[in-house]
Amino acid sequence: MTEEMPKLKRFERRETDVVLAYVGGDEFTITYDDLRHACPCAKCSPLRNVDDTSKSLRRQVEAFPKEKPQVRIVGNYALGFEWNTGCSSGIYRFERIWDLANRRDPDNGRPYVHGAW
Amino acid sequence: MPMADSPVTKHGANSEDEATEASVQEQKQMEQAYAQMKRKMSMAEIGRMIKHKVMVLSGKGGVGKSTVSTGLALSLAQQGLKVGILDIDITGPNVPKMMGLEGRRLHVEAGRIHPAQGHLGVKVISMAFLLDNEDTPVVWRGPIKLGAIQQFIADVEWGNLDYLIIDFPPGTSDEPLTVAQSLPDIDGMVIVTTPQDVALLDSRKSITFSESLKVPVLGVVENMSGYTINGKSAPNSDVQIDGPAGKTLKTTADDQGNFAITIDIFKEGGGESTAEEFGVPFLGKLPFDPGFVRGGDDGVHRIVSEPEGPSAIAFAKIVAALQEQITDSDEPGLEII
Repeated sequence: MTEEMPKLKRFERRETDVVLAYVGGDEFTITYDDLRHACPCAKCSPLRNVDDTSKSLRRQVEAFPKEKPQVRIVGNYALGFEWNTGCSSGIYRFERIWDLANRRDPDNGRPYVHGAW
Repeated sequence: MPMADSPVTKHGANSEDEATEASVQEQKQMEQAYAQMKRKMSMAEIGRMIKHKVMVLSGKGGVGKSTVSTGLALSLAQQGLKVGILDIDITGPNVPKMMGLEGRRLHVEAGRIHPAQGHLGVKVISMAFLLDNEDTPVVWRGPIKLGAIQQFIADVEWGNLDYLIIDFPPGTSDEPLTVAQSLPDIDGMVIVTTPQDVALLDSRKSITFSESLKVPVLGVVENMSGYTINGKSAPNSDVQIDGPAGKTLKTTADDQGNFAITIDIFKEGGGESTAEEFGVPFLGKLPFDPGFVRGGDDGVHRIVSEPEGPSAIAFAKIVAALQEQITDSDEPGLEII
């Protein structure tokens, strides 16, 4: 990603998705399912490697009750989400959220190999 | 034309030699100055590419500093962050063994050192990678040691990292000083201690040392805090154990007869009280876990072998407390609704 990432200004949690407002006026929505499916933690990441497991992760995520997460700011570089069900371990860097907002694969198609990027 | 043995000619030849020698020396000095400048620029660049740098220190040896360093790194990596460990313990480097990288060699390309990758993609640089034999002691005087440290900082191709954990030898020697002076924007230091008085006394020195370095203390971690015994007894029965220092520990077994009692082998809450005394955050306690010893010897860290076990959970709590401390003044100003 070479483009300049604008600063995230507002993170508005709705029933099933979140509205992201960036400095400069751009607004995006990310569904909670997409957000949870893109969890960067060491447990979830390998499940996105292969199509079938990725689909099973997707099914798993979609089966969770719809809930608004608790959001915590990590340092000045990332957000963490606390869900009542499922995985809450991942720390989402702002770059990752920006990729998700723009419907891009935040891992750039790279498979997860023991956490190596 | 002067004669071959003319003093003038000889004098001329000497001058030329001296001039050549002087120019060689000047060139050497210029090269050194250039290398130094390049190294400084490289350190500044590394400072930008690594978002957070955390030093891990202890006043006393054997408190589990490397265990804590590797645990912090792996716990952060479990969250999906990019993490590196710089093992500055030149004379007793043991991070590679704990990270399953024993016997590994470093890859050098175009004058840049590429770190080895351990569990969960954690990048590791250690003196151990440069030793032919792990039984060979590194006997270096200060300046050589410090040169090696600077090289480990400036000449390593870390890439973009969210966290660099720097593991130091015990004590308040010149290694932390060199790192603090070389690496820009260090977030702070984590002090590792065990609960007994001797270790706490040395930890207090580390806290005071941080003031001299002008590096903030991010917090104190108490290692080997308590050993939990799990057992079986009659359902709902009272269980009593004679603990250390004449203390009697009591608990009640559950409906299935399972019970758990935590014995404070050394003492209780020493790390916490030291943190309170010095007004620095207490990040948390790590249980006394023999699995760490086995994991360290086998090269499979406890967090990797049991990612949801009690030690991994304890580390996750400590990391969460650490992340709370690492908040830059340049807040994102994010409104969460």
